[in-house]
Amino acid sequence: MRGFGAFFTKELRETVHTWRIWVLPAFLLFSGLSSPVVTYLMPMMVDRLGGAGAGFTIQVADPTAIAAYVEYLGNLGELVMFALVIAYGGIVNSELRSGTAVLALSKPLSRGAFVIAKWLSQLLVIVCSAFVATGLCVALTAVLLGAGPATALVAATALWIVYAALLLSAMVLMSVIFSAPAAAAGAGIGVYAALAVLAQFKITSRGTPAGLMAAALALVNGEPSHWLLPLLTGLGLSAACLAAAVWWFSRREI
Amino acid sequence: MGAVAPLAIALLTMLVAVELGLVVYALVDLSRRPATAVAGGSRLLWLLLCVFVQMIGPILYLAVGRTRAAPHTSGLGAAGAHGRGDTPRNGRIALAAATLYGAGDAPEAGQGEAVELAAVRKVFAGTVALDGLSLSVPEGSVFGFLGPNGAGKTTTLRILAGLARPSAGTARVLGSDVSDGSAELRSLVGYLPDVPAFYKWMTGAEYLRFAGSLFSLSGPALQQRVHELLELSGLAGVDIRIGGYSRGMKQRLGVAQALVNAPRLLLLDEPTSALDPIGRRDILDMISALRGRTTVLFSTHILADVERVCDSVAIIDHGRVAALAGIDELRRRRGALHRLSVDVDDHEALARVLREAPWVRGVEPDESGGLLVSVDDLEAAQREIPAAVARLGLALRRLEGDELSLEDVFVSLITGADR
Repeated sequence: MRGFGAFFTKELRETVHTWRIWVLPAFLLFSGLSSPVVTYLMPMMVDRLGGAGAGFTIQVADPTAIAAYVEYLGNLGELVMFALVIAYGGIVNSELRSGTAVLALSKPLSRGAFVIAKWLSQLLVIVCSAFVATGLCVALTAVLLGAGPATALVAATALWIVYAALLLSAMVLMSVIFSAPAAAAGAGIGVYAALAVLAQFKITSRGTPAGLMAAALALVNGEPSHWLLPLLTGLGLSAACLAAAVWWFSRREI
Repeated sequence: MGAVAPLAIALLTMLVAVELGLVVYALVDLSRRPATAVAGGSRLLWLLLCVFVQMIGPILYLAVGRTRAAPHTSGLGAAGAHGRGDTPRNGRIALAAATLYGAGDAPEAGQGEAVELAAVRKVFAGTVALDGLSLSVPEGSVFGFLGPNGAGKTTTLRILAGLARPSAGTARVLGSDVSDGSAELRSLVGYLPDVPAFYKWMTGAEYLRFAGSLFSLSGPALQQRVHELLELSGLAGVDIRIGGYSRGMKQRLGVAQALVNAPRLLLLDEPTSALDPIGRRDILDMISALRGRTTVLFSTHILADVERVCDSVAIIDHGRVAALAGIDELRRRRGALHRLSVDVDDHEALARVLREAPWVRGVEPDESGGLLVSVDDLEAAQREIPAAVARLGLALRRLEGDELSLEDVFVSLITGADR
């Protein structure tokens, strides 16, 4: 892992200096702010819609803090994940395509350090942004809808972070395997879709990382949450993807 | 609910305003941008994405949909930086090079081989790039690496830099096999690719600090090294981001980053190709100043550069060494070569006879349908060629002398090696 510290520092600085800082944090903060507001205003909006002479009545449950949290987690599981896949399709191969990797890797920087520094720096961005967004969501929900199970939401966010880390690892692997960012993003969408399909079955939902979002929602809803196996398999699969990416990248010619 | 509704509505209004603002900004930017400056080349696709995929579409477009304008676009920053960065600085280069290697951590030139290639073969998807290349580069020498496009120069340097592996044969740098991929070995080597690419958001000084930190340099030693290299490359005082650099400035920065570790072996892939005459002279002065302090192996098309700074030169063609010569031998060949253009009614017959003559170095078809004859005795050629034409009973349509360019000499050397 020679050169890790220097390259990790470069990655963090690059995140701040380029577009990367804006994409995922923007989506996360948008979700954190919009979910309580939309949940709060939904009955009013539906009421206005229903009063417009459409000839039918729509009944919506009273907004609650839990509903806002569920809306927030839904956004994290779909909107933010989609953005993650698109944004990180070029996390490794963009440096190969632009040629910047050549200069870095001709120096005593190990291939493993190159890959892991990229993964870790972006995971750091995701973790920080997720907890800030969750904090905003909790605070705004408390103002609009009263206090909710904030601890459960924080725990659910932690489960989502494992899910995001898994998808980030998968994107690192795809970005090492495929030369084109679009191809890597396409493969990443395939991984995301596969996880979504697996989440529909009870056995795979409880025994694989596909069940992480369901476990997170159960925590917020106060229901029994089968989070342990999805958490462990998620961490394991994430590590496996990362190890495969390092192995593949180490054998690759630059 | 009624008490906080205004706040909620205000927040929602703000979010909608942000979203609409993003959409409008993205659409305005898209409308002003040529299709060539849009990722994927399709403005319609981005238009649909921005309009119909709320929030995500505009953000994605603004984040990844916009590509850089054409590189030749002139800008005030780039023009100003070019002016400052390309200022000639004749007298300071040798001093800066001496300072770089005089700090105590510079390697001493030894008597061994800095580079040893033995029957190196490299195949890319069925295409043979190197075909049993063998050569040695003495430590402390300045070694020129000549060859036409596709001859295998860049592949060789990439192998030596540890970025590619030979398909067969062995490549050793400073006594170690490069196939091991050792970071220790890479810490002794400096490498400049043919088209160096940098992080555009960094300044030159920041990039050199980053490069130095990869060699575990830090603190005042790193600062001092960065200062020396900025002086050496003529980029001191240039504080714009690399994205605004001219190609020549990038080339200078490329040379500087290759020297950040005061390497024992400096690999330069066509270091003067993007430079104006002053920049080219500076680079050659720098390479000259490094003679005896480190080993320099550089590839080029420009024979004049080789003549000016090299001790030895290898010419490769089709992945093999076509000629290996000291620079004095190269000069002798250049001084001795002349070329004649001959047109007769049977080229094959004349070419067969001329190839047997001792003063002929090469015979090849020329662009006008005649023969180009390279000779090292002009008077003998002017006397013997008409005589040979007469003996063969051919009609002599044209016989004229032609000035040899440096490129002609290079081609002639390869042709001579093939004969």
